[in-house]
Amino acid sequence: MTAVENTLNVIASDEAAEIAAARRNRLVAIATPVATAATLIFLWEAGVRVFGVPDYIAPTPSAVASTLVEEFPQLMRNFWPTLYESLMGFAVGNLAAVLIAVAFVHSRLAERAFFPIAVFINTIPILAIAPILVLIFGAGLTAKVVIAALICFFPTLVNMVRGLQAVSPQALELARILSASKSEVFWKIRLPSSLPFLFSALKIAATTSVIGAIVGEWVGADLGLGALIIDATFNFRSALLYATVFLSSGLSVLLFAAVTIAERLVVRW
Amino acid sequence: MDAVSLNAAAGTQVPAASLRNAWVKFGQFTAIQDISLEIEAGAFYSILGPSGCGKSTLLRLVSDLIPPAAGEVSVFGKTTEAARLAREFAFVFQDATLLPWRSALKNVELPLEIGRSRGIDIPVSDKSPMELLELVGLKGREHALPHELSGGMRQRVAIARALVCKPKLLLMDEPFGALDEMTRDHLNLQLLKVWEETGVTILFVTHSIPEAVFLGQKVLMLKAHPGRLHEIVDIDLPYPRSIAQRDTPEFTRYSAHLRGLLEAC
Ligand SMILES: Nc1ncnc2c1ncn2[C@@H]1O[C@H](COP(=O)(O)OP(=O)(O)OP(=O)(O)O)[C@@H](O)[C@H]1O
Ligand SMILES: [Mg+2]
Repeated sequence: MTAVENTLNVIASDEAAEIAAARRNRLVAIATPVATAATLIFLWEAGVRVFGVPDYIAPTPSAVASTLVEEFPQLMRNFWPTLYESLMGFAVGNLAAVLIAVAFVHSRLAERAFFPIAVFINTIPILAIAPILVLIFGAGLTAKVVIAALICFFPTLVNMVRGLQAVSPQALELARILSASKSEVFWKIRLPSSLPFLFSALKIAATTSVIGAIVGEWVGADLGLGALIIDATFNFRSALLYATVFLSSGLSVLLFAAVTIAERLVVRW
Repeated sequence: MDAVSLNAAAGTQVPAASLRNAWVKFGQFTAIQDISLEIEAGAFYSILGPSGCGKSTLLRLVSDLIPPAAGEVSVFGKTTEAARLAREFAFVFQDATLLPWRSALKNVELPLEIGRSRGIDIPVSDKSPMELLELVGLKGREHALPHELSGGMRQRVAIARALVCKPKLLLMDEPFGALDEMTRDHLNLQLLKVWEETGVTILFVTHSIPEAVFLGQKVLMLKAHPGRLHEIVDIDLPYPRSIAQRDTPEFTRYSAHLRGLLEAC
């Protein structure tokens, strides 16, 4: 073998080694949290069994898993209304926030008049305001959607206002040199440049809208994951309670993932 | 027939820009003091001066981004506002100021989209946006997003965008200031090519004396505190210019002269 060939081989094997190392890194990145979670679940199972913790205080993970399977039809019956309320609340709350943010950016008067009110409403704990909303809107769908919408509203409002204002002064000078109208500046510059801000707000809203819907169901509902949580708690069906909680967080993850995928498709820069 | 076309018909050239006793103030601070100046149509002007002497302010004044506190500014015989509405000039900023969500081609097309819905009659270059990208050497990269391009490529997209409405005056504020020397040389040559092909008037602000001499037919030297016109130096070097000219004694003489003026400021 010549020296050059040797060097080339060394380089090639270096590259192969690098690729292998990268693959190993990715594997480790996935395997570590999975292994940690598996260990914790095992410790939990073992702890409950060894110390003889009564089932109504803490169920074993295996009991939760079998409940998930056995009670699947009942869980799903309660899953759909919560999904529906979360999505409706997500849509209504974010749409309102975006529209009001646009109004704020166009009119300083509107911002001065309404922003303090928005801040005040945001300071009221959602748990405190939920019963009031149920009194106003009744125990039906509307109250839950309103609560979910309300919890989404404020972070999106703040982020969207920031996003619409986060246009570089030079981009605005460019618009001025092109004699762009206010609406052209809005549609061609402000709105697209606010999208990254909007999506980070939507990711927050994806999880909080589920919280809103569940809190709404706590106050008054016959169906929904929130109602099932209350029901399981008062009947000491702890395995069912845990399974419901598991499903609730699954719902949040689902919405979060959907927003993340949408973000990847839209915000490509 | 208005005065402008009469002048053109008579063969007397309307200056690309004309300042008469123009002042610019920011509150109490005088950024430009009493500048009178005529920019010859079709010429290439470099603008030099110490930092803070009002070079950017001068371009912003001509491009109707700021009004004069006193005096008059006109562009091709019109008010700066009328010239802006007619898209007679274009601006190239120090950073390319591309819209990051638009591809190179879409960025070049932006000026054509703006104003169209309001029925404004915008001049359009004989070259298509695609051909303009080719002119600045970006063929094949038209669908790349700005973050996928290098700094020099982004600046070239900005130049193509500036040319898309067939401007008669191109205002450039340190467009290559952030680039390395090799890229800068390359873009300087490309810019001269564009200038020769389009006949556009160019006002080119720079911090680099060699760049100013290499590009310009004339160098406007400003001085600071407050910003005033110091001197206009004619650069009698033949076009097309080449990098090799930089080593000629004439080139060195011009550079030395300008350096002397700059130090005296
Ligand atoms: N919007 C503004 N408000 C107040 N002062 C300003 C403003 N713009 C510029 N100035 C001042 O006017 C003077 C000229 O500024 P200008 O930006 O034109 O300088 P310049 O010659 O372009 O400098 P540089 O070479 O550093 O870019 C500076 O002293 C600056 O502080
Ligand atoms: Mg400047």
